[in-house]
Parts: sequence; structure tokens; C-alpha cells
Amino acid sequence: MEQALPDPERPLKPAALEPLGRSDAGLEAGVGEEAEGSREEGSGTDTMTENNFGLKKIEISVSEAEKRTGRNAMNMQETYTAYLIETRSVEHADGQSVLTDSLWRRYSEFELLRNYLLVYYPHIVVPPLPEKRAEFVWHKLSADNMDPDFVERRRIGLENFLLRVASHPILCRDKIFYLFLTQEGNWKETVNETGFQLKADSRLKALNATFRVKNPDKRFTELKHYSDELQSVISHLLRVRARVADRLYGVYKVHGNYGRVFSEWSAIEKEMGDGLQSAGHHMDVYASSIDDILEDEEHYADQLKEYLFYAEALRAVCRKHELMQYDLEMAAQDLASKKQQCEELATGTVRTFSLKGMTTKLFGQETPEQREARIKVLEEQINEGEQQLKSKNLEGREFVKNAWTDIERFKEQKNRDLKEALISYAVMQISMCKKGIQVWTNAKECFSKM
Amino acid sequence: MAGGPPKALQSSGPYSLRDMPHPLAGSSSEEAVGGDSTPSPDLLMARSFGDKDLILPNGGTPAGTSSPASSSSLLNRLQLDDDIDGETRDLFVTVDDPKKHVCTMETYITYRITTKSTRAEFDLPEYSVRRRYQDFDWLRSKLEESQPTHLIPPLPEKFVVKGVVDRFSEEFVETRRKALDKFLKRITDHPVLSFNEHFNVFLTAKDLNAYKKQGIALLTRVGESVKHVTGGYKLRSRPLEFAAIGEYLDTFALKLGTIDRIAQRIIKEEIEYLVELREYGPVYSTWSALEGELAEPLEGVSACIGNCSTALEELTDDMTEDFLPVLREYILYSDSMKSVLKKRDQVQAEYEAKLEAVALRKEDRPKVPADVEKCQDRMECFNADLKADMERWQSNKRQDFRQLLMGLADKNIQYYEKCLMAWESIIPLLQEKPEAK
Repeated sequence: MEQALPDPERPLKPAALEPLGRSDAGLEAGVGEEAEGSREEGSGTDTMTENNFGLKKIEISVSEAEKRTGRNAMNMQETYTAYLIETRSVEHADGQSVLTDSLWRRYSEFELLRNYLLVYYPHIVVPPLPEKRAEFVWHKLSADNMDPDFVERRRIGLENFLLRVASHPILCRDKIFYLFLTQEGNWKETVNETGFQLKADSRLKALNATFRVKNPDKRFTELKHYSDELQSVISHLLRVRARVADRLYGVYKVHGNYGRVFSEWSAIEKEMGDGLQSAGHHMDVYASSIDDILEDEEHYADQLKEYLFYAEALRAVCRKHELMQYDLEMAAQDLASKKQQCEELATGTVRTFSLKGMTTKLFGQETPEQREARIKVLEEQINEGEQQLKSKNLEGREFVKNAWTDIERFKEQKNRDLKEALISYAVMQISMCKKGIQVWTNAKECFSKM
Repeated sequence: MAGGPPKALQSSGPYSLRDMPHPLAGSSSEEAVGGDSTPSPDLLMARSFGDKDLILPNGGTPAGTSSPASSSSLLNRLQLDDDIDGETRDLFVTVDDPKKHVCTMETYITYRITTKSTRAEFDLPEYSVRRRYQDFDWLRSKLEESQPTHLIPPLPEKFVVKGVVDRFSEEFVETRRKALDKFLKRITDHPVLSFNEHFNVFLTAKDLNAYKKQGIALLTRVGESVKHVTGGYKLRSRPLEFAAIGEYLDTFALKLGTIDRIAQRIIKEEIEYLVELREYGPVYSTWSALEGELAEPLEGVSACIGNCSTALEELTDDMTEDFLPVLREYILYSDSMKSVLKKRDQVQAEYEAKLEAVALRKEDRPKVPADVEKCQDRMECFNADLKADMERWQSNKRQDFRQLLMGLADKNIQYYEKCLMAWESIIPLLQEKPEAK
């Protein structure tokens, strides 16, 4: 990988620098292949949950979250949460891990890192961050960012983000990422010095602006469509799931009332009393079991959310391709028109409208010297344009090739992860059913003794 | 009970009902305590005593035609309320086969009543007649009239709000049929009520309407006499056991009301949950259409949720059709029992007032006039009948609720089992490795 030069004219190349001071270091946490070979492979990386291969070099964890107060840019007091990132290197031989780095970061720094990655790796489906604000909440969960449950889930999400980046064959080698894990102070300045904000294409922000591309790559068009649909369907799913959770909560909790009334009723009964009383206790158990059940289900929701946001990252890649293609076509168009102008000047035929032509008509012919000068300028511009078009074309082809590799890798990852998520969801449901059967069987036995 | 020679009424032989030790009672001698003031309303009838264990004064005569002692003796003659072996049963009644009748003036449902009996009161061994709800209603009124000292089982509610419930829907008709069947079975099991003439006619007459019109009053003597009890007498002191029964019924009805409300609330929440599930499942299908490798797993999850939705719907239907109506029936039951208790109070009050009037006259002869004796008879009869019926009621109530609540638990277990099966069956589908390309 080359060194990045802060040259705004040059097309962007990945800015990965070899980490200083580490000879065989690679940040390939979780990659199941040899470090050197893994770069070429787009697919074959293991999922986050399979970090247990012997070749693992480092472990990353976001182990703690802490409330802090400080002063923001406008010198106002603010409260925020800081997260402790610990990096451990794992020795091959004995599997012991040694703590090598430990620092605190807040959410905004994660955002900065991601924005940087988005700019420098436009062809990569960059892993998403956990949501900034709690969305798709069902009534019991707080939508407050300071709520401990939200903070805890965010901690897990941030850890997941780092692990995803660390296990990406290309992203894991990025120097800024390395520094994020190791250099607490000054990191922000270092990132900003890369000047990535300048390189960022502001047009990317205009999500819905259409750029008329004459020859779109069909694969990207389809992929963009897919990512839109995926976002839509997962959002819908998350919304309905939240409502389902709400209702289920209600069903379970109302059963708790049976506990109390059975107890009161048992007081006036002789033989029936004991049975009623103990059955009532089981109803209480049933009612309180829903809290844990729904907490587990939140994990499933988080897995879906990750892919909701991944869909956005996928769309971003398609968008970048679209813009590149648009720029290419614009450049080609510009070149063609310049060539035509040149030809007309040389042959004297005027087919295209030009301001010069009009003014010539109005104010008189130009001299042959003047015409020669203009042709020369145009020829220079055409030359340059052709060079640029060539490199743009090259760039475009490189982009498509690299992007498509990463997209294939992403697809496999997505299928694996979502299948696993569905399995664990089914397992949760099975566990819930078994608990239900257990409780009602116990209650039935109490009733039989009435 | 107030003075006089009452004790003999209670017993049908050397034992007083309450003095008989419960065969299942362990060391506890609570149930064997004699005397009036035992406040326990929950005495079990001596269950496994057969006819032969008791020495009866009478051979057992049908109620309604002889002395006030007859009800108690009958009680002993037909010991078992809920015979497990059915040996002593000689009357079987079933309600089934609902049919819709469309006439010019109205549309209504009739039910077939099948009776099988070896009793002498029935000319034929078997009968089959058709009756509609208003016939049951008539029967109940007649029973209340003619057997005021007994607890008459409740009928399912008469009126249904039109538009809210479809009174010709299968579910409603079935729920009602079950309730009517229960009603007749409770009467059948009652040693006194089952011999009631109106009941007999109800079960056997081809043309019930004609009989209704005749207005034949076949009241028992007791019924007749109680009918003429005038109100307006203030009760001095209610015997402890009846006070206890009254209090018990108050609390009981209250608790049942609460349970009814909770059950209704649960059903409501479950239905709302069902609505969301019905939207949730199909979203997985929509997603499945976008995917390649994930298409089958997602479709599987969608189908699974659909199955769970169906199971939930079955649960809520069962709750509505089987659980709630029985609860409500018992609330109605305790309401009607409270009225009988009130009547008893009035009978006692009248007796006490008359007795007091005699005492105030300060006569030398301590003779008790005939009409005061009649009052006393009435009261003691009432007390005996009511006590016996309460015991039976308690026993039946226990069994009914055991069955009802076990049924509730069962339905929930079945619901979870159906869901469990659905989820377990898609695990292999989800774990399937895709075919190597």
C-alpha cells in the first residue's frame, strides 16, 4: 500500500501506512489466514463471533463506559460517556494475552474515525457504528442516551465496530485506525492533518440528488436498489418488533394480578387454599420472566440494526461509483466537445455554437494568428483531457474491481451473520416456550391439588 | 337455632349429619364437631358412605309430598353428589344438537334434551324432547318458586347485546349449550330438585307450552309455606354458620369478579399482541423476496410466526368460550344464593317475632300455639335444606374450579407446545449449509 500524499488533485488511494515499530505486526484480529496472504482475499474472513483461531494477533475490547463532564467547543459544560478501549496482544505459544494499550474514547471520536475511513476507502463497505440515539424503542426502554442499558448496548456496538474493522483485510492495516487504538492524545489532530475532510466529496451528502449517468454499471444499479429495499424492510421489521415486544410485555405482566387475587381468595378457602396460593406464586414467576426474555431479544434487534446501517454503507459505495461514472462521462463529454471545437477552427466550419463565433460575427473576424493561438490552447487542453480521461477510466475500473471484491466479501459475511442471528432468535423463542410450559405445568399441578 | 325440639330434623338415624366423621379427614376433627356454631362453610359431605351404612327412618320418599324431614333423609339416600362409579345414579340428562328455527315472527335455537332414567317417576325409560332458552328460564323460575329453600343452579345470561355478540354463531351456541347442559346436570345431581315435578315435565312433555299454560301449581308444602312468609320482620341474630356463609359468598363473588376482569384484560392484551404478530410475520416474507441464500430461512421464520399467531388465536378463543362463561356462571350462582339466604333470614325473623309476641302475652300456659310451631318447622326445614345444599355446593365448586383452572393451565401449555414445535422445526432449516456453487 502506498503512502498517501495530501494532493487534492490525485485520485484517492488508501492511506494505509505500515505501523511504525512493528515488524510482523498486522492488525488482523480474527483473520484465519496467514497475515500476508489475507490481503488479496476478499472473502474468507471470519465473523466476529469466531475470534478463536490460533493465528490471532491482537484482541480488542471496549471494556468500560464512564460518565464524564467537560467543556465543549463553545466552552459549555457537557456530560458525555467515555469508553475504555483495551488492546491485548496474544502470544502464539501459550495463548496468554498481554495488555498493550488502553485508552478512553468518546462516541464522536469513533465517528471521526469512520468518516475518515469512508473518505479514504470509498470502495469498501465500511462497518457501521451503533446508533447515535436510541431508536425503535419499545416502551420500557429509555430513549435517553445516558440510560445505563443504552450505554451498555452502545459499548457492545462500539466493540463490535472495532472488531469488524480489525478483521477487515484492508481496513485493518490503516495507520489512523492503529493510532486510534494506541495514541490517546493528539489523535484528532493527526486525523485532521490528513486533510480528509477536504477530499470528501460533498456531493455524497446529497443522498437523493440524481446524477444522470448514461452507462451505469448494471450491477451497481441493482445493488443500490437492493440496499434501499433492505433498509426499508429492516426498518419496518424493527418497528413492528418493538410493538410486538410491547404487547408481549403487557400479556405477561397482567398475569401477575392472578397472583394477588389467588392469594386473597385462598384466605377464605379451606381445602382449595393451598393450591390456589402456590399457583398464584407461579403466576408471579411467569409475570416477572418477561423482563429477561425481552432483554435477550434486544440483542437480536441490535444485530438487525447493524445490518440496517450496513445497508447504508453499501449504498454509499454504489453512490460513489455513480459519481465516479458521472465524472467520467462529464469529462468524456467535455473532451469530445473540445475536439469538435478544435476541428471546426481548423477547417473553418462552424457547427457548434460558440461565444467566440458569435462575437466574431458581431465584431468582425479574428486574425489567423489569433485562430492559431486558440487551436494551440485547445490542443493542449485536449491532450490533458485525454490523459485525465485515461486515468479516470483506469481509476474507475480499479474502483469497480476492488469494490466488487469487497461487496462479495460483505455478502458472504451478511448471509453468515444474519443466519446466525435468526438461529439465535429461534433459540430464544424456544427457550421462552419451554419456560412457559414449565410455569403452567407447575401451576396446573397446584390446581390439581385444590 | 332457637329453642324447641330441632335436633331430630338433622339426623336421619343415630348420627347427625355433622357428627359423621369425614372418611378422608385425617387427624383433624374439625369436621366432626357437632353443634350449631361451627362457622366452617366448607364441610364435605360424607362421601363414601353408601346407603347400607346408614339407618334411615324412611325408606326414602320423593321430596315434595311428605314431611319436612324428607329432604334430609333423601340427602342420605342419595349420598354421592358426583358418583364416580355411577352405580347409584338412576337419571341421566344431556343437552345437545342445537338447531336453528326460522319462523315468521322470530328466529331461535332449540336444543335436544335426552333423558334416561329408571326412576318410577318416569313412565318411559328414555325421552327426547326439544327445548329453547325460554323453556329453561321457565323451569328455573318454577324451581325457585317451588323449592325456595334450595339453591337453584344458574342459567347462562339471558340477554346478549345485539351486534356485539352473534347469538347464532357456532361459538356462542356451543358455549350456551354447555352451560345449559351443566344447569340440567346440577339439577339431576340434586337429591331434592331432581324429583321436582316441573323438572320432570320439562324433561318429558311433548308440548311444554300447554303445560305452562295450565299453571298447575305443584308446590311442596315447604314451598307453599315459605311463599307466604311476609317480609318486614327484623332478624335478631343470624346463626353464625349462616353469617359465615353470607360473608364467604360476598368475598367469593368479589374475588371471582376480579378474576373475570383480569382474564378479560389478558384476552385483550393477547388479541393486541396477535394483531402485531400478524403484521410482523409477513415482513420476513417481504425480506425473503430480496435475498438469495437467506430467502428460505427468512420465509421459514415468517411461516413460523404465522403458526404461532394461529396458536394464539386458538388460545384466546378458548379463553373466551370456555373460561369466562364458567366464571360468570359462578358469580350468578352466588348472587342467587345470597337471595336464598335472605329468604331464610326472613323466615327466621318471622318465627322470632311470633315467638316474642307469644312470650309478651304472658300467659300461664306455656303452650306454643300451632302457627308458631309451623313457623319453627319452616325455619328448621329451611336451615337444614340450605346447610345440606351449601355443603354440596362447596364440594361441587371445588371440583368445578379445579377443572376450570386446570383447563386454563392446559390451554396455555398447549399454546406454548404448538409454538415450541414450530420454532424447533425451523432450526434445521436455518442451519442448512448452502449448496456449493
